Amino acid sequence: MIENILKSFLFAKREFKERYVGTSLGQFWYLLSPLVMIFIYTVIFSDFMKMKLNIIDNSYSYSIYLISGLFAWTSFSTIIMRLNTIFFEKAHLIKKVNIPIYTFMISVILSEFFLFSISMVLAIIFLIIVSQPVTLTFLWLIPIMVIQTIFALGLGVIFALFTPFFKDLKEIIPILTQLWFWATPIIYLSDMIANRYPFILKYNPFYHFVKLYQNIFLYSKAPSIKEILLISTIASSTLLLAIYLYKKMVGTIKDII
Amino acid sequence: MREKVLEVKNITKIYKIYRDNLDRLKEIFLKKKYHKEFIANRDISFDLYQKETLGIIGLNGAGKSTILKIIAGVIEPTAGEVIRHGRVTALLELGTGFNLEMSGYDNIYLNGTLIGMNKSEIDSKIDDIIEFSELGEYIYEPVITYSSGMAMRLAFSIAIFSNPEILIVDEALSVGDAHFSSKCTRALRERKKQNMSIIYVSHDLNSLKILCDRVILLNRGEIVDRGEPEEVINHYNFLISKLNDRDNRVVSTPNGSFGTLDVEILDVSMEGKESKSNIISSGERAEIKIKIKSKKDLSNMTIGIMVRDRFGQDIFGTNTKYHNLELNFKRDREYICKFEMDLNIGVGKYTLTTAVHSSFDHLNNCSCWIDNACEFEIAGVKGDFFIGICRLEPKIEFKDIA
Repeated sequence: MIENILKSFLFAKREFKERYVGTSLGQFWYLLSPLVMIFIYTVIFSDFMKMKLNIIDNSYSYSIYLISGLFAWTSFSTIIMRLNTIFFEKAHLIKKVNIPIYTFMISVILSEFFLFSISMVLAIIFLIIVSQPVTLTFLWLIPIMVIQTIFALGLGVIFALFTPFFKDLKEIIPILTQLWFWATPIIYLSDMIANRYPFILKYNPFYHFVKLYQNIFLYSKAPSIKEILLISTIASSTLLLAIYLYKKMVGTIKDII
Repeated sequence: MREKVLEVKNITKIYKIYRDNLDRLKEIFLKKKYHKEFIANRDISFDLYQKETLGIIGLNGAGKSTILKIIAGVIEPTAGEVIRHGRVTALLELGTGFNLEMSGYDNIYLNGTLIGMNKSEIDSKIDDIIEFSELGEYIYEPVITYSSGMAMRLAFSIAIFSNPEILIVDEALSVGDAHFSSKCTRALRERKKQNMSIIYVSHDLNSLKILCDRVILLNRGEIVDRGEPEEVINHYNFLISKLNDRDNRVVSTPNGSFGTLDVEILDVSMEGKESKSNIISSGERAEIKIKIKSKKDLSNMTIGIMVRDRFGQDIFGTNTKYHNLELNFKRDREYICKFEMDLNIGVGKYTLTTAVHSSFDHLNNCSCWIDNACEFEIAGVKGDFFIGICRLEPKIEFKDIA
């Protein structure tokens, strides 16, 4: 077990080195995508369109709001999509080498978590540039990011387990993820739907995560114990369900891929 | 008693066949049964000892690959258990887990990690691996540019230098050229001396006889025989010939025969005295039976045979006339002519051509001639080993003359 998790680290490290092998910019690509995102949200939304939230006194307030939510969402949805096809991608290995499949799943989580961290660091640098206060409260980001990644792992594994049985899920999951994205206050503010569709916020597990990032970025507001407990419960129960299903289904999956 | 390195205990593997994947999923969670069963392995048990090479043979679909995959841990058995006392490396298919975009060099690390080596272990062996693979400078090229033989060489080199306690080789050796496959055979024997155990699956009966200490014969998912290679392979040959019986043992095809057809060759068969099939050891006594039917009264006739190798070269031919037999046929009578001889020829595949004619050769009144009336294979050597196509049985003497 421990040996296999160590292997996940090795795989994650290698994948990291290899993803952009042969490209001239090399590992700089890892920085490029979050940088471009930050650029779009500042220049387009704040400078061109002059979109501004009047909730805090910063001309880049909307950009700050967007970046906090989008970076969290990007990591979350990437993990789900990557796990979703993992049985097919790794079929050639699963069928020939005696390595448990969860090793590959954990390696995905590790490398995505690392990328998530990079993008968060870039986001914080951006905050400093636009003179948004960065306080010790920002340390709360670390546990929240970890819990979010565990949630993504659990959910991603559950979807991944069913995909070999219904190949349609390969197509359905990306669409569902899109719908989920727009059902979460990331681009718009939660106030805009809080009165008309309160249930969307209440029963959307990702809302409980994203609002914590937004509060930290905009107001340096630390999450309450209750909020942390809530997301921990969501993440751990999802993960437990995932583990239960994994044990039950993985043997059969090996026979059919 | 040598140490056991692998214990396979009562392995049964049942593949469930479903109408669709929905049924499969329903069955995981509900109690109801939705499947038909296909039994790939039934109650298979054996032990593998240190330094032993165990061969597994069987017809296609006998369950060889399934049991190998279970031993390698790639699929799970329905019942039973495999106890491994050491690292198992499996060469299940060529190029296991190669990343085609990456160079051969990087793939050694990738593949090595997958089969359980750590980085320092690979560091210390990478030069040996590259040297053994004979890839030279190509090792720095991406694997996608390799020929299948090159990829196989690399895969084999990594596997053998990973120093597994148990190595599973599934038909891998048959792909390389003669030079590399003999190098592999040598390397396997050497490793065996150190203390590696090997499970070897192949349809190449000759290499099985050379490499294996013990052979297991699978048929329809069950072990039907186990023991000395020679014996078990004969049993296997018997299974094959039964299979051939069931389809069409068209030994005499009307199409393949020509001549005046005054005499018809009805059936030609060839069987080793010990193997009871047409796969015969070199040096084994074999019997050729030719059944004919004459449509006319004919006298002073001859029945002849010719053994040809797979290139169509004449290896040996004889006929009844050379043996001073006078054959006279009566109208509408059937006859059997038997040739019994020791097959002192080298390993390989051969065909048998038969003919009925008068006088010494078929240029005189050829009644019936069938090319390739039957095929046979020489696998393994009885008695002293030799190379080449004929066994000259030398007496060898060596003495000190000083």
